[in-house]
Amino acid sequence: MATVDVAGEASSSRFGPRTDGADLRVTIGEPLRLAILVGREPANVAAAHAVALGANADVVLVQSAGGVGTLIDRAMALREAAPDAVLVVADRGDKTGIVELIEALRLGRGGSSRPLALLVAAEEGVRARITASASPMPVEAIPDPTKARSRESIVARLRALRRGGGEVVLRDEAIEAAARSLAAASGRATLLVDVSGSSTSLVLARADGGLLAAHSHLGIGSGADRVVARSGLDRVRRWIPRPIDGPALLERVFNRARWPDAIAPSVLTLALEMSLARESVAHLLRDARQAGLDEAALRSPQWIVATGALARFPRPAQTAIVVIDALAPEGTQLIARERPNALVVAGAIGTRSSAVDLTDTTDDLALVTTLWPARTASVSVTDATGTIEERVARGAFFLIPTDGAVRLELLPPPRGSKAPRHAAQSLALGVIVDARGRPLELPPRDAERLPTLARWYAAVAGLPIDEGSL
Amino acid sequence: VSWRFGEWRAAHALPLGASQHAPVGQAVRAGDIVAAGTTYGTPVRVQTARRLGVGRADVERVLRVPVGAEVERGALLARTGRRFVRAVSAPVDGRIVHVRGDGDLELAPVVDRWTVRSTLDGLVTASDDTQVTVEGAAWGLQGVAGYGPDAVGELTLAVGGPAEELHPSRIDVRQRERILIGGARGGAESITRAHACGVAGVIAGAVPAGGLRVMFGDDVGAHGRPARDDAPTVLCLLGFGHAPLPAEIFEPLATLAGSRAAIHTASARLFVFALSSALQIGARPASVALHSDWGALRPLVGAASLAEVTFPSEVTTSAVVTADGPIPAANVRALA
Repeated sequence: MATVDVAGEASSSRFGPRTDGADLRVTIGEPLRLAILVGREPANVAAAHAVALGANADVVLVQSAGGVGTLIDRAMALREAAPDAVLVVADRGDKTGIVELIEALRLGRGGSSRPLALLVAAEEGVRARITASASPMPVEAIPDPTKARSRESIVARLRALRRGGGEVVLRDEAIEAAARSLAAASGRATLLVDVSGSSTSLVLARADGGLLAAHSHLGIGSGADRVVARSGLDRVRRWIPRPIDGPALLERVFNRARWPDAIAPSVLTLALEMSLARESVAHLLRDARQAGLDEAALRSPQWIVATGALARFPRPAQTAIVVIDALAPEGTQLIARERPNALVVAGAIGTRSSAVDLTDTTDDLALVTTLWPARTASVSVTDATGTIEERVARGAFFLIPTDGAVRLELLPPPRGSKAPRHAAQSLALGVIVDARGRPLELPPRDAERLPTLARWYAAVAGLPIDEGSL
Repeated sequence: VSWRFGEWRAAHALPLGASQHAPVGQAVRAGDIVAAGTTYGTPVRVQTARRLGVGRADVERVLRVPVGAEVERGALLARTGRRFVRAVSAPVDGRIVHVRGDGDLELAPVVDRWTVRSTLDGLVTASDDTQVTVEGAAWGLQGVAGYGPDAVGELTLAVGGPAEELHPSRIDVRQRERILIGGARGGAESITRAHACGVAGVIAGAVPAGGLRVMFGDDVGAHGRPARDDAPTVLCLLGFGHAPLPAEIFEPLATLAGSRAAIHTASARLFVFALSSALQIGARPASVALHSDWGALRPLVGAASLAEVTFPSEVTTSAVVTADGPIPAANVRALA
């Protein structure tokens, strides 16, 4: 069995029999600053963003051939952005617009000796013009990123830049390999939701080998301030189940961002981590939608497995409620979480070998069913203790604890389907019924928001707030 | 975050339009200009290669002024031929900023001028039109985040002790062009007042994150924001919110008050130009702990022991047990 080091924000943990060193090392990789220069075609813009999400690159600048601004404005923006790589996606037949952007790139770069990877997807004639305008910067031709298979090769090229010359397994590669292995072993469409201090990943693997992946440098640690900058402080604050003013919350977020591997000792800080995890995932999901990835598929897999910090919240219910709130899944899913770093380690091994041992890597937490009944509906849950039938009204959110193997039935069945039955083996929590509606909305005013949140947390015993420790 | 005397390196990024930069090997002092240039207005494209009937590769050969030169309207830019002359002249006053891939020139009017100053005493070790790097010896203190433009000035104590907050009432125009040493906290009001009074920069244990948003915009983060525009210069030494400085940090600052100093915001460092013998640094580094709700930091003083503790969040982890209660070991940092 291989020994794997998994890097955290400031330290690393070793898994495996060796004590003298590791066979593999999993890291977040070097940050890659990516500038996107793209034509006017929305499909090209989306494809460029999909490449960035696939490669976990930080998009520092997007310039479109159809955008406004002079050559100087564009060159200044490119100088300020200081990209490590530039992804150029030219529209079919459009030379003028994209060449203008390349001229701005060369002007902005000046005589810099800093290495820059200039990746160009364009027809041959356009590429020749780009090469002439970019000279003396070397141009690398890449395939059309609007095709999924082409994107994989571009992502591989960008990931090579993130390795920084070291022989490491990138965390996102390990997560993808783990998702593939789980889907192949279980025969189910499997979504891995990974949140760490400085990265967030959503990887959907299908049993047929298909893969949908999005990664970002949002996180609950050093990436926490990015979550606030991108999603807005209010979106993070709305999940905190007590009144807290924005500046006070911001201080906590900033301190966490500059304190690698900090532990959440209080309920408030734990609630903040959960809140940051929700918004990291939700924001990545929005990015994925804008990049043209299949958001509906990401929201409705058969099996959702949480990994990283998301899987290490003290209570299983905390992992489950964060996943449900962030993904707002539809239909019925089984939610599980990895044992500490078990799937990341298995995935790292999976990047080098096809023999991946997935035994004892995950714990099933809950069967989650989402409904929005037109009239009163019921769920029937059968476990080792017998059958329970619960009525479900709109707005309801509750947990039915179970013991042993579980069978879930919706009554009446959703329109157009037979009475669906869902089964699972032993669950740490039980069956969670979510009839809060989609999209999931929280009241804006504290007077209504706090009781609503308290009710949701209490329904799954998600936080020790009843003890007055928040 | 710790004091160290040694060789430091400071890279100074240059904006677009550098017209001169210090050559490699030049000796500079903090505050000296290491690069100068111009800010451009809307550029004008001047047809050159096609008009002169030359290829792109030959454009620079036929130019009568080099790229980067400032020219007046009507000035001859390029010319070919002897008997049948073809020439290109400048349509506006400005600088030749760029030769395009097709051989056309971009001429941009000059709307402003800028300079970049060194933040170290030392030698220029790398220099091009995008960055000038200076290396030299100084006392250095690494902070967690720097905001605003670089600053150079005399280090001045503006608080009575390491736990005091920098009050606006203690700031006036007599502190112009100085770097103020705040204590546990430099609020937005103090910092903006200092900026209005011409103070070069403010360093403090912590700065309120909300105040940073007020001063630098809503997208400001915890990892600093170097800038070149007219904005306050702020160096957070420990974190955000409130952070009394440990004696190991504050006492040397007080000792060095009156010395020439500089803040390099991109690397979040304070450089103080004093003799290496000016300070005696103890072998044992200070320790700082993150407050249980992450809203502040505090120096860890007094005896402490290690134990496995379950916190109110139900996280069980190794903890440093102090007289004030246990702190997760991961939330205690030695300022080595």
